[in-house]
Amino acid sequence: MAIAALKRFVADHVAPAAFIPPKPRGEKVAVVGAGPAGLSAAYHLARNGYDVTVFDALSIPGGMMAVGIPDYRLPRKVLQEEIEYIKRMGVDIVPNTVVGKNITLEEIFQRGYKAIFLGIGAHRSHKLGVPGEELSGVLQGVSFLRDFNLGKKVEVGRRVAVIGGGNTAVDAARTALRLGAEQVTIVYRRSREEMPVNKWEVEEAEKEGIAIRFLAAPTWILGTDRVTGLECIGMELGEPDQSGRRRPIPIPGSSFTLEADTVIAAIGQAPDLTVLGKAVKATGWGTIEADPETCATAQPGVFAGGDAVTGAATVIDAVAAGKRAAESIHRYLQGQDLREGRAFDVPKELIAHKELSEDMEYVPRQEVPTLPITERRSNFREVELGLSEEMARREAERCLDCAACAECLQCEAACGPKAIRHQMKEEYVELEVGAIILATGHEFYKPQGLPQYHYGRFPNIIDSMEFERMCNAAGPTGGEILLADGRKPESVAFIHCVGCRDAHSNTYCSRLCCMHAMKQAHLVKEKTGADVYELYIDIRAGGKGYEEFYERVQREGVIFIRGRGAEVIPVDNRLVVKAEDTGLGRPIILPVDLVVLVTGMVARADTAEVAKTFHVTRDKDGFFLEAHPKLRPFHTNTDGIFLAGTCQGPKDIPDTVAHANAAAAEALVLLGRGRVTIEPIIAEIDPDVCAGCKVCVELCAYSAIEFDAERKISQVNGALCKGCGVCVAACPSGAAQAKHFNDVQIMAEIEGVLA
Amino acid sequence: MSQEFEPKIVGFLCNWCSYSGADMAGTARIQYAPNVHIIRVMCSGRVDPSFVLKAFREGADGVLVAGCHPGDCHYTAGNYKTLRRMPLLAKMLEQFGIEPGRFRLEWVSAAEGARWARVVNEMTATVQKLGPLNWKNHVRHT
Repeated sequence: MAIAALKRFVADHVAPAAFIPPKPRGEKVAVVGAGPAGLSAAYHLARNGYDVTVFDALSIPGGMMAVGIPDYRLPRKVLQEEIEYIKRMGVDIVPNTVVGKNITLEEIFQRGYKAIFLGIGAHRSHKLGVPGEELSGVLQGVSFLRDFNLGKKVEVGRRVAVIGGGNTAVDAARTALRLGAEQVTIVYRRSREEMPVNKWEVEEAEKEGIAIRFLAAPTWILGTDRVTGLECIGMELGEPDQSGRRRPIPIPGSSFTLEADTVIAAIGQAPDLTVLGKAVKATGWGTIEADPETCATAQPGVFAGGDAVTGAATVIDAVAAGKRAAESIHRYLQGQDLREGRAFDVPKELIAHKELSEDMEYVPRQEVPTLPITERRSNFREVELGLSEEMARREAERCLDCAACAECLQCEAACGPKAIRHQMKEEYVELEVGAIILATGHEFYKPQGLPQYHYGRFPNIIDSMEFERMCNAAGPTGGEILLADGRKPESVAFIHCVGCRDAHSNTYCSRLCCMHAMKQAHLVKEKTGADVYELYIDIRAGGKGYEEFYERVQREGVIFIRGRGAEVIPVDNRLVVKAEDTGLGRPIILPVDLVVLVTGMVARADTAEVAKTFHVTRDKDGFFLEAHPKLRPFHTNTDGIFLAGTCQGPKDIPDTVAHANAAAAEALVLLGRGRVTIEPIIAEIDPDVCAGCKVCVELCAYSAIEFDAERKISQVNGALCKGCGVCVAACPSGAAQAKHFNDVQIMAEIEGVLA
Repeated sequence: MSQEFEPKIVGFLCNWCSYSGADMAGTARIQYAPNVHIIRVMCSGRVDPSFVLKAFREGADGVLVAGCHPGDCHYTAGNYKTLRRMPLLAKMLEQFGIEPGRFRLEWVSAAEGARWARVVNEMTATVQKLGPLNWKNHVRHT
């Protein structure tokens, strides 16, 4: 995906949201430098309600974005708009003020600023360190670009040599070309792969006609008072250095001369710390020493970030540093820890593997259109033109949607009670519990099983859950009751007992669907005023207030027809319901717009699996079976496992709540007691009779029988034994006996029943 | 045989499935033959083949063993042991001259009250047709 190009498309086409000023905090914060780092820090601080003043050394704000990066890469109009937006937020930008010269850090603090952010950038070029650097016609990359961008007169000769391989070098070369140079050559001491500049910048430069001499370094700038040429030496790459790039080594005797009347040196840059003096601590690289994550310096209240800390890097890096610094300054001013609960690195996560279908077509990336080469000379028009709307759409459609969440983490930040944890992963937890309540619920019957209703084959034949979803204000229609083509229905039929009270599906009554269908009929009347027909077998309205609701719905004009809906057939644009009206004693047909199949509750598809896991039984309809239908309706035959709700059978909400509360109370009985009394029905082995054959040991499903190798007999562990008696029936010597079910007792029972 | 013959059948029922199933038949008020005399055991796996022999010896005309459906055993695998023992016993009973219809192994779950009633009615009718066994008087005890 061309993410940057798509982002740019959005930025070009969508105006930033109106700024809603936050409640002012009253505390003043100073930012030094109106470049990307400083402006970013100012923006985030202002959003947080701080009173921000930005001091900038130059006459125009923007830092390197204004005076370093050329117009053809970053149009000034775009930059101006961004800066205007920040100014409108109340950020005050003071130009032409060099901190350290016009005002010191102490003076800033004395003026009531509580914290300072130093985003002074890296505007000082490194020297080449070769003879001839003082000649006229030798320019520094940064100051060359700055002077040009500030509107000062800059002149380049016919032949320009640029030394360096970074963005500044390429920017200087391309600027020189646009200023009229006939021949521009970049001299770089390593090879193409090691160039720090963006690859596409090099490609564009070469397209524009700029030559690059790789593996060459200047040794002497030739000329008497003006530059006439550049003496260079060929290089080869040796072992990798600290930066991981291979170190260039001069090849003796490989010197050559380049003709040049202008030499631009762009071999690196550092912040100008001379004016700040001892106010800040410098590193060995000449940058400001500051924590790369929190941006804090050794001096309390002084923070630093961007090129001034990292050395020349990208605008994005600087903007990120400004944002981090703003958060640190906020924490500093609120007396909070700078690090606690903060993530500095964007967490990386493997995207789930997604199978692509075989017939998927390969769609190439959209190429961002650029200004034709011939139109680039002697002007600074933007080279990258951006995607058109059509191209942006096509590019966005290439997304395979492998990670639906973009991991922006905004949900986590927005949730007050911290209920969202993005890093959460599924885990297996082992819990030691004293009771288990199964509350796994139910499913609704799928009407595809009854082909006479043609569910799923024609639009406007829906089931009651789909209807419920449609009525929901958060649903697909925003709560409106609509037909598939968007019209409002003029007549609606509800067919009761779909998948219930029917030998072709389930024979039981789901109990709650009559009330459910009546509520939905009421909604249809309320929202559309359509004619409503309820085709029922019997109305089951038993319960507090239920019968009253039945009567109310009848008064509202819902027509109740006693008779099962037999078939639904589409005729022209409508649906025809065939049924028998048992009141009239004859078949009827009803033309309607919408048919709602009121489906019954069925056991979940996975109940068999769950039942096995928990050793509970199921009834003939697949629901979990209670221990006794009347006296123990939420117990199971397995001690400590209880049932709650519709996993035990169809129930409406009040009954489910009552059932669940009862199950919870019963579970608490176990927990409150803290210990369980086990049944006395367990097996025992008479050690005097046991011959130690070990038949029983193998048979026991609970490993409750151990073989005592010393005494050569088997023994029952009473705590593990569940008392099934399988071992007793298998014992050849009669040593194993089941308490309360021993051989003598059962034999006597047999005699008794046959007496 | 006269119509008045009412066979005596001994039923060994596991506590969790079949006994509950019989209970279910009762709570559901299902009518069925009163000929099965139930002896409750914790698991059909507790049924020692000697119990069956004992029942026949004591004058039973039929013996029914009923447990949970395979896979549903309250004790995980007790009924699998029953499933291995009882067919062997049935072979032996046949060799003793006891007709196959007099001994039956059935799976009845706690939910299957109706099935329990059907099994009892079927078996009663079968044994009724076979007539009294009266093994006690036919077999000489040594």
